[in-house]
Amino acid sequence: MLKATNIHKSFGNKDVLLGLDVSVKEGEITCLIGPSGTGKTTLLRALGGLDMPDQGTLDIDGTLYTFSPTHKDTIPDPWPHITVVFQSLFLWPHLTLRENILLPARNRWDDFKAMETELDGLIASFEMAHFIDQYPNEASLGQRQRVAIARAIMVKPKYILMDEITSSLDIEQVYKILTRLEELKGRGIGILLITHQIGFAKRAADHIVFMDKGETTESGNASILTEPKTKRLKEFLSMVKMAH
Amino acid sequence: MSVLDILLKYYPAFLNGLEVTLQLSSIIWGLGLFLGTLLAVAGTKFKYWIGIPSRCFSFLLSGIPILVFLFWLHYPAQSMLNLVINPFYTAALTLTIVNIFAVADIVRSALIDFPQQYLTAAKVTGLTKKQTIFKIQLPLILRTTLPALLMLQVVMLHTTLFASLISVEEIFRVAQRINAQIYRPVEIYTALGLFFLAVSLPINGFALWLRAHFTRDISET
Repeated sequence: MLKATNIHKSFGNKDVLLGLDVSVKEGEITCLIGPSGTGKTTLLRALGGLDMPDQGTLDIDGTLYTFSPTHKDTIPDPWPHITVVFQSLFLWPHLTLRENILLPARNRWDDFKAMETELDGLIASFEMAHFIDQYPNEASLGQRQRVAIARAIMVKPKYILMDEITSSLDIEQVYKILTRLEELKGRGIGILLITHQIGFAKRAADHIVFMDKGETTESGNASILTEPKTKRLKEFLSMVKMAH
Repeated sequence: MSVLDILLKYYPAFLNGLEVTLQLSSIIWGLGLFLGTLLAVAGTKFKYWIGIPSRCFSFLLSGIPILVFLFWLHYPAQSMLNLVINPFYTAALTLTIVNIFAVADIVRSALIDFPQQYLTAAKVTGLTKKQTIFKIQLPLILRTTLPALLMLQVVMLHTTLFASLISVEEIFRVAQRINAQIYRPVEIYTALGLFFLAVSLPINGFALWLRAHFTRDISET
């Protein structure tokens, strides 16, 4: 299990995370929802080992790392055991989309034939055949999003942290991603998903965390989206409803 | 007497001048590219010891005309140090220094401006340090810098003409000497122009080809 407890993070005088708790279990999808600028991506970077918290504890598969103003444990590089798909995708522009997937994947597969078969499956399932040999600048945002997800899947992670991965996909593609996430869950991969699409969270999540102003305001299973307990989540959901 | 007649009659002299020009250019190009790149990498790694002093020197150098720098190293510096150095080496040293700092400026900018997100992507997908350098950083930096570096080397080739002013027997000085004998400036300097076109245009063309083929829109990737 990937578990963050009482996470604090500041940038200069700006406090972004104020004692936040979140956990990602193997074979489960945790969705992180909340207004923009509330620290969701900061939390994701902390969980992904990219930015260390100022305070709190991180539990990675039973190993506890503690952070305080006077002491910071060093986390051995957790990648690609934990991998991240960013909202801004970060595909390497000088490699074709296929090479973007295969370059890191080759480090993780002993059997290259099996790797190719797995990739072929992903290409078919994400409908990437017609653009997989193009360069990132020749593909649309939606196409690049699918490639970024495929790249993360192909490095055989135990946890995938995803930041707004469905923002540029059409309903059909979102449905396909959902199916794929279910499949990843089935393989025992733990997924943390930041999303603004409440419907998607409702369908995909085993556990939902609603974050506001750097804190966990409410958490629970998908029912918190239909029967919210806190006033702030009720407000947020009604605003989302109005916007749609 | 046509350009061809002059080239046919004086080709041994032109060839000697060409040889000196190419020797000079090879030293300037080779050392400039190697040491300039090294200086940029070291400057980014050791910011306070190498980076800032080298940038200050580069800034100072950018304010001094190359000809003044060359003359200063040829006359006052050697007289102060009580040395007499072959003008070829003085020209090679001066122009190599200029090239080193110009190359370092180009490479340094590419290193500093390197988009960190590509390194983050390399990290989270588990690429090794070696893979990150050789498969991600180096190819991307080469794509950014190579056209500019090639264009710079063409400019450096052109600056070798200054060496004639401190008596280096390079191609321009040879052309001047022949002109003093037969006074055919149009033909002689046309021949010289053709030589520089023959060497510079392929390099410039290659730089443009690289830019057209390998520069990609990386704004949203």
